[in-house]
Amino acid sequence: MTALLELRNVSAGYGAFRALFGVSVEVQPGEAVAILGANGVGKTTLARVATGLLAPTSGTVLVDGVDMSGTATYRFARAGVAHAPEGRSVFATLSVEDNLRLSFRQSKGRANTPAALAKAFELFPMLAARRHQIAGTLSGGQQRMLAMARVIIEEPKLLVADELSLGLAPIVVDEVYRSLRRLKESGSALLIVEQHVGHALALCDRAILLDRGTVSWSGPAREAAERVATHVFENDSGNDGDAAAAAG
Amino acid sequence: MTALLEARGIRKSFAGVMALHFVDIDVDAGETVGLIGPNGAGKTTFFNCVLGILRSDSGVVRFDGRDISGLRVHERARCGIGRTFQRIELFAESTVREHLLIAERTRHGTGRLWKDLLGMGRPHNDEIARCDEVLELLGLGAVAEAPIEHLSLGQGRLVEVGRALMTDPKLLLLDEPSSGLDRKETADLAATLRKVQSEKGFAILLVEHDVEFVAGFTERSYVLDFGTMIAQGPTREVLRDPIVREAYLGVPATEGT
Amino acid sequence: MTLATGVGADFLRALLQGTPPGTVYALVALGFVLTYKTSGVFNLAFGAQAYVSAAMYYKAHTEWGWSIIPALVLSVFVLAPAIGLTLERLVFRYLRTGTSVAKLVVTIGISLALPNIFELITNFKGVVGQTPAGIVPNGSGVFYDPFGVYPFSRDELTTIGVAVIAMLCLAALFRFTAIGLQMRAVVESPRMTELNGIRSDRVSAVSWALSSTFAGLAGVLIAPRFNTLAAPDFFNLVVVAIAAAILGRLVSLPRALAGGLGLGMVIALLGTFLPRWVDSNPWLRPFQENLTPAVPFVVLFGVLVLWPAIRRSREVSDPLSGVDPPISSLALATRSARSHLIGRVFTVGVLGTVATIVYFRADASWMFLVTQAVIMATIYLSVTMITGLAGQISLCQGTFAAIGGFGVYQLATLHGMSVLVAAPIAAVIAAAVGAVLSLPVLRLGGIWTAVATLAFAFFFDAVAIKFSWVGGGNTSLMQGTRVPRPVLGPWDFADDRAFLVLAVVVFIIVSIVVVQIRGGTIGRTLRAIRGSEVAAQSIGISPARARVVAFAVSAAIAALGGALLSIHQKNVNYGSNFSPVSSLFWLVLVVSLGARTIEGAALAGAAFSIFDPLILRGTIFGWILRSPKRVPGFFPISPKWRLILFGLGTLQFARHPEGAVEFWRGRTSRWLAARQQSAPPAPDEPTESIGVDGAVTS
Repeated sequence: MTALLELRNVSAGYGAFRALFGVSVEVQPGEAVAILGANGVGKTTLARVATGLLAPTSGTVLVDGVDMSGTATYRFARAGVAHAPEGRSVFATLSVEDNLRLSFRQSKGRANTPAALAKAFELFPMLAARRHQIAGTLSGGQQRMLAMARVIIEEPKLLVADELSLGLAPIVVDEVYRSLRRLKESGSALLIVEQHVGHALALCDRAILLDRGTVSWSGPAREAAERVATHVFENDSGNDGDAAAAAG
Repeated sequence: MTALLEARGIRKSFAGVMALHFVDIDVDAGETVGLIGPNGAGKTTFFNCVLGILRSDSGVVRFDGRDISGLRVHERARCGIGRTFQRIELFAESTVREHLLIAERTRHGTGRLWKDLLGMGRPHNDEIARCDEVLELLGLGAVAEAPIEHLSLGQGRLVEVGRALMTDPKLLLLDEPSSGLDRKETADLAATLRKVQSEKGFAILLVEHDVEFVAGFTERSYVLDFGTMIAQGPTREVLRDPIVREAYLGVPATEGT
Repeated sequence: MTLATGVGADFLRALLQGTPPGTVYALVALGFVLTYKTSGVFNLAFGAQAYVSAAMYYKAHTEWGWSIIPALVLSVFVLAPAIGLTLERLVFRYLRTGTSVAKLVVTIGISLALPNIFELITNFKGVVGQTPAGIVPNGSGVFYDPFGVYPFSRDELTTIGVAVIAMLCLAALFRFTAIGLQMRAVVESPRMTELNGIRSDRVSAVSWALSSTFAGLAGVLIAPRFNTLAAPDFFNLVVVAIAAAILGRLVSLPRALAGGLGLGMVIALLGTFLPRWVDSNPWLRPFQENLTPAVPFVVLFGVLVLWPAIRRSREVSDPLSGVDPPISSLALATRSARSHLIGRVFTVGVLGTVATIVYFRADASWMFLVTQAVIMATIYLSVTMITGLAGQISLCQGTFAAIGGFGVYQLATLHGMSVLVAAPIAAVIAAAVGAVLSLPVLRLGGIWTAVATLAFAFFFDAVAIKFSWVGGGNTSLMQGTRVPRPVLGPWDFADDRAFLVLAVVVFIIVSIVVVQIRGGTIGRTLRAIRGSEVAAQSIGISPARARVVAFAVSAAIAALGGALLSIHQKNVNYGSNFSPVSSLFWLVLVVSLGARTIEGAALAGAAFSIFDPLILRGTIFGWILRSPKRVPGFFPISPKWRLILFGLGTLQFARHPEGAVEFWRGRTSRWLAARQQSAPPAPDEPTESIGVDGAVTS
């Protein structure tokens, strides 16, 4: 069975700065994978390589078995790989409706755009009330929901989600993860990059731990929680009793 | 005795979202304090409020017994607050020594046009000696003449420290100094910082993600989460606090101290 | 109530009278907003694009005798989009990650080069003393008078109609079509647009084709407004249009339209009612004629300085810009002290030899040109100061030079002072003006500093020079702004040879000033600010203070040079020496050749004055081949090449802000280093280095 996304021995970076060293990751159709690790270990770079925003300096990126290394970003999107980038991920100068319209016109075609819009507003009534508001004036949580609305309606084959919980209130994070779960149930594969591991591990099947640009551990999600706890609070790892943090 | 830095009731919101919620932080002269918290907790916002890059919505910042809330960025720097940057900010086209020279020059009053015209603006020997002294202390003596484009990230961060030191700060704010460094570089940086601090005696407020670094480096820590102070106290105790672990990992800890 | 009726009728007449020019401003403002909105480029070359289409239309319709429709299709719907696509493909695609200041400089270069390229290819000579035809038959001959107070010509009505229709079409495009939405998205973030499966490069190509077509349409429509057809008129119009566009924050089409109409009407109202107020308030008299044409520049300057929300309104950065590799840091000249010294000695040697030959051998015309080159180089050191050292773009250096020229005219000619005393005093006056101006202007930062200085230059051009205490007023109209040559002890500088020596001495002194400042505290401070403003502040540097000093010194240098130029030509010659457009050309020259170094300024001076006679006329080949007859037949080359070459020279500014001289010097020394492979190996390339933005700070 061909993997939906496969990174083979990928290295990447920015200019002279190297962020990833020979990383290999695979995502099967319908599978949810969490990429975990501390700040600055290359998680975001990995997400960018996986969606074609950044071309790897060496190694191969395969989507559905097709070598896509170095091709334009829009081809990844058309191949069904969606990216929810970290930080602001909506067009701040466009209205809420235009943000959605831009995306649906491309992915659903002209005829289906009104239906897609209606569905988005039905799922996210908060957006319906603000459909003409300029997206840049939404709060961080509202912007994040707008980005989620976009990908949920599009139902990509694979969603690469980068630090979705960053700077959001717990109640919004819960909502974001409810959306992700819905997406997973509808058959999309997920590659979730997170620093906040609790939610991610509850959702994902497998987890991969990155450390300084290389994969340091990978395995089933339920074993990952303990790993992360000792990893992040390594300094305390002598006190086993303290270190054990159970995941739900 | 009042603390060196006293931030009281700092509140800041962006577009209706509360980034800092009545935060109080004290740093005493000569001590090393950590400010930790997960991404987006408001650490950088607090930093910027202290430095004057952002104006807080309410609250007071006192430094050395003086209310500096109304001062501009460079005026606060002249009061004795030095800093380093998370994403390195160096002066393009300058050598390492020139970075320190300009800081040294700025500390001794502003440039006068007529002095420059008479050639008195060129580096003096005693200035160069003072710069080299700090460069040696930081272990940068060998690269004093190197353009900063040729430095590694770790060296670049030390140049930032050196530049800040030339202004003779009473307090040094370090913004994620371990970011982008590997484990060994981080350890080296910590050792160098400790050495310099013991010699010069300034206080440090360290903003950091890397819990390990903070645990090894600071005596006392504050923990922010969603703009609110959720814990403070001796660093090791703070890191054992289940609330802190939950904030970091997003999972409720089953047991704690 | 006859008076009220009279005033009411006058008011209505003024409004109607202001409508046609107002519509023209509105049309250009719409085009400018369209370009800014769809490409993110503050396109000062808009006027040049409009001019090229207008000229093409004239060529096809009037010279070749084509009928209106084919001429219109060729000029507006074929040529204009082709130019837009070319610019996008060859220029702006590579500038995407550049700073907005770098893009602005490039558009200035293009606005100088493009009309000349067109004129060279089509052998178009321009039109003087004849109103170009519009796009309707007999457009300037048929009038309609709907209200019985003001007759509109058919051309004017066409322009009004097209402007309204264009605004509606563009509004519909942005509101209802996918491509309109995509264009706005690409401006904000090409990367994020691609994540939606949209080809961003194709979208920006469409943007450029569309906005260029609009520029062409505007050009053809507004050409009948002038009784000449020349590129500078179109440039001036763009500056007026920016004033209108800025009222709509550069993004709102309806507000740009309203802004343009409003400007036209305000000017007409002032023209009608100001004379009446002046009758009862005589102190207003100097403003009567002078203020009216300056209204747009006053509005532009005022809005920029007093309405901070404007310049903050659209600084939305691309959230994914981190993906792009850091802008390559400057090729820092890692030259050894020895090769540095050899370079200096070589430069001084060459200049010394040239100076000696010129001093003893040159005839009067070469003496004139070389002296002018030296004086221009002095003026260009002011650009070295403000752009090279402080990293700010100033488009009013010509105005400071003019203050120097008018200063000596006033003090020496009208008040009998020696010009040698008057010139430094004029420089001090310019420094004071510069310092006062810099306070609001340099706070703006980036392209807004450039635009505000441009507005100041046009304001000075339209208003200040007409006051008798500046440009001499009526006296100067009758007698010209004559300036005497000085006598100092045994030296009579009326002799051209002596004056050359004076010019060289002044250049050397000013060079030393610049070198001392560059190596001193102020230079280091400015370099620190240019490198990283936040870091400079973190060690206690006040950026505002350092920049005020830089701007004042720069103004003083420009004024000193301007004074010298006026003394040399024995006349201020404001129009040919110091007009706002000349400031643009100066910037382009210095930036192309090297804004960081004395050599760059010296070469720019030479390029201004002797590039044309020496290279383009082929004289130098005559000298080398020892016979003027052996000069190859393709000489003389058209002088337009000077503007084309240096205009296009700005293209490298985004990548190599240090200019051609430093760039090639770096190349050469690397090449030499590569040849000396047997020598000790160079230090290893760093595996990881810090990307530092070397571009001009915005």
